[in-house]
Amino acid sequence: MGQISSSVTDDVMTTARKAKKPGVNERFLAFLHLAPGMSGFIIFVVIPLIASIVISLYRWPLFGDPKFIGVDNYLRLFDGRTPVFGQILFNTALFAIGYTAANLIISTGLAVWLHSLPDWAPFFRVLFFVPVVTPMVANALVWRVILDDRGMINGMLAMLGITGPSWLGESGWAMFSMILMSLWQGVGYNIVVLAAGLNNINPSVLESARIDGTSAWSRFWTITFPMLSPSLFFCTIMTVIGAFKVFTQPYMLTKGGPGDATNTLVLFLYRSGFSYDQLGFASSLAWVLFVIVMLVTALQFVGQKHWVEYDA
Amino acid sequence: MKSTKILIGLLAAGLATSLAACGGSPAPTNSGSNAAPSAQSSQMYTWISSEGDRAQWQSFVEGAQKKDPNFNLTLDGPSFQEYWTKVKTRMNAPDAPCILTTQAARAQELKDILIPLDDLAKEAGLDLAQYNEGMIKGMTVDGTVRAIPYDAEPMVLYYNKTMFKDAGLAEPTVNYTQAQFISDAKALTKGDVKGFALAPDPGYPYLPLAFANGNAPVKDGALALTDPAFVADIQWTFDLAAKEKVAVAPNPADTTDVPMQGFQAGKVAMIIDGPWFYTSIREPMKDEVGVAVIPSASGQPVGMIQGSGFGISAKCPDPKNAFANIMKITTPEVVAFVGETRGTVPSIESAIDGWAKGKPAGDVEVMKALLAQGQPLVTTPTWNQFVTQFTQYSSDGTRGNKTAAEILDTIQKSVG
Repeated sequence: MGQISSSVTDDVMTTARKAKKPGVNERFLAFLHLAPGMSGFIIFVVIPLIASIVISLYRWPLFGDPKFIGVDNYLRLFDGRTPVFGQILFNTALFAIGYTAANLIISTGLAVWLHSLPDWAPFFRVLFFVPVVTPMVANALVWRVILDDRGMINGMLAMLGITGPSWLGESGWAMFSMILMSLWQGVGYNIVVLAAGLNNINPSVLESARIDGTSAWSRFWTITFPMLSPSLFFCTIMTVIGAFKVFTQPYMLTKGGPGDATNTLVLFLYRSGFSYDQLGFASSLAWVLFVIVMLVTALQFVGQKHWVEYDA
Repeated sequence: MKSTKILIGLLAAGLATSLAACGGSPAPTNSGSNAAPSAQSSQMYTWISSEGDRAQWQSFVEGAQKKDPNFNLTLDGPSFQEYWTKVKTRMNAPDAPCILTTQAARAQELKDILIPLDDLAKEAGLDLAQYNEGMIKGMTVDGTVRAIPYDAEPMVLYYNKTMFKDAGLAEPTVNYTQAQFISDAKALTKGDVKGFALAPDPGYPYLPLAFANGNAPVKDGALALTDPAFVADIQWTFDLAAKEKVAVAPNPADTTDVPMQGFQAGKVAMIIDGPWFYTSIREPMKDEVGVAVIPSASGQPVGMIQGSGFGISAKCPDPKNAFANIMKITTPEVVAFVGETRGTVPSIESAIDGWAKGKPAGDVEVMKALLAQGQPLVTTPTWNQFVTQFTQYSSDGTRGNKTAAEILDTIQKSVG
């Protein structure tokens, strides 16, 4: 028995040694397989990332010679020389929180509802997914017409004797409109992801709970939600990251206005780089955005231990 | 370990190459004084948003070909909106065209790309005084002329003649007071028809109305947005929507076309826009359209002149030949030809007859009056920031949520 055990251990060790030290040919083969993907990753991700750090340390115009200014672009954000930066951070956070919360609540509700409609669910999933695959610019243009002061929504409200607000011209309503349009565009993606999560829940568990006389609300919180939590966590991560990068909606719907009520970080970044000719400053904004998104994502990963059930 | 070092080396080399490609600015290879004409000297980078734009540029070539049948220019460029960003990166390339176009209002912004033309003009015997004084002033940056203007277009008031007649109002002409303008606008505002229209952009119509009273946003080369007289003019314009209710308050994302669309649809009686729409504005309309001066407190006409011109890239290998080509497309004959065929108001006074052909005498008189008392829209290198922020903030002014003083003070502090 001891000999057999020793022999097995030797085999395992040999295999491990072989796995640790591949031959030259294997290394070359691995390199060849990795080369196409890695070269794309290096050219289009790694080099631009490093270049962006370097550019953020310069006053870098679109035309002309760059000038090294150290971390002044970063200081400019926080020392009062960019008074609008605080408002922009607030707007971006407000949009990210409002949009993510509303998106997750609506998409979860719709996904659970569609799960109970086996015949019509595929049709509705496609219907909700259509805005996801249509171009954001086109969607925003249509919504701009709908939300105009004399647009479709206010026209319908007028028929009911209600004077509609200026959806895109008043600060509070403009942010609300931006979130509303973004929800219409983005909720379909999460519905599909959550539908896949719901399909993985064993129906017999829910059936047992039903036989035990539990209410639908109780079944959702004690069975469906915990078993769906990994999918919800994925949706939360992706939605928050997307929300912090919001650009097209304010650019097309409100131009960041009225005032700076809907001015967001990426819109400000784009204008700084390509309208105001300050590529270095825009790069520093990009890195601030990167750090914010990284911290928020890290916080979510820390927090998920308290609510995501991988063993359910 | 070795492969890691190789990878780091490759990364560093790639980064160095890409940054060098982005940032360098090699000097022109020669002055072009004795060199053969380069291909770039007969290439022009400009905005080409539509076939209409291309036809306009081509009409300059056709005009020049009447005198020199072998003359030609190669045209290239993006849409008008993209042009102002792309021109800066395109002009970094070693094969970039020598000739480029700029608006007078953008000359400050493009000053690093455009070379001074004074010495070239002097050497070639070109009299810059023949061009509209305001436009030459607008094209002057740091004391030197950066582009030769081909048009000089004062903003005008378009009005619906039929609506004025139906309301029994006297039509505005070369003298129009702001008091009369408000009175007319109120008389013409009925139901969903408004007397006037505003866009969120400062050019449509905030700045022309300020210019009409002799107030401009730039003084001594710097933004002077908090100047009390300028603030009062902007507040007066905000109040057209906020208090007088003769115009609809625009949304920040409304384009500058929105007032014109309302005018053409018969929902707006008067708008302020450029004379470059003189022909096209009438095309979809049944009602008659008239042209008048911009209303001012005194009633005297003062035009805000906008226009564009041809300049030479700082990296052009032979600016002399490029300038010779610019001269060929900015002669009185050529700008008159383009004015006649494309409707642009010529930058040379003696060529105005070309533009005036077939137009009512009253309209020509208005144009001449605005040109005679015209002031150019002189800007600063940060002008784009001002335009962007004003567009964002103006809807708060037209809704009465903020005063012009508050808005302009915020922008002045932000843009500097």
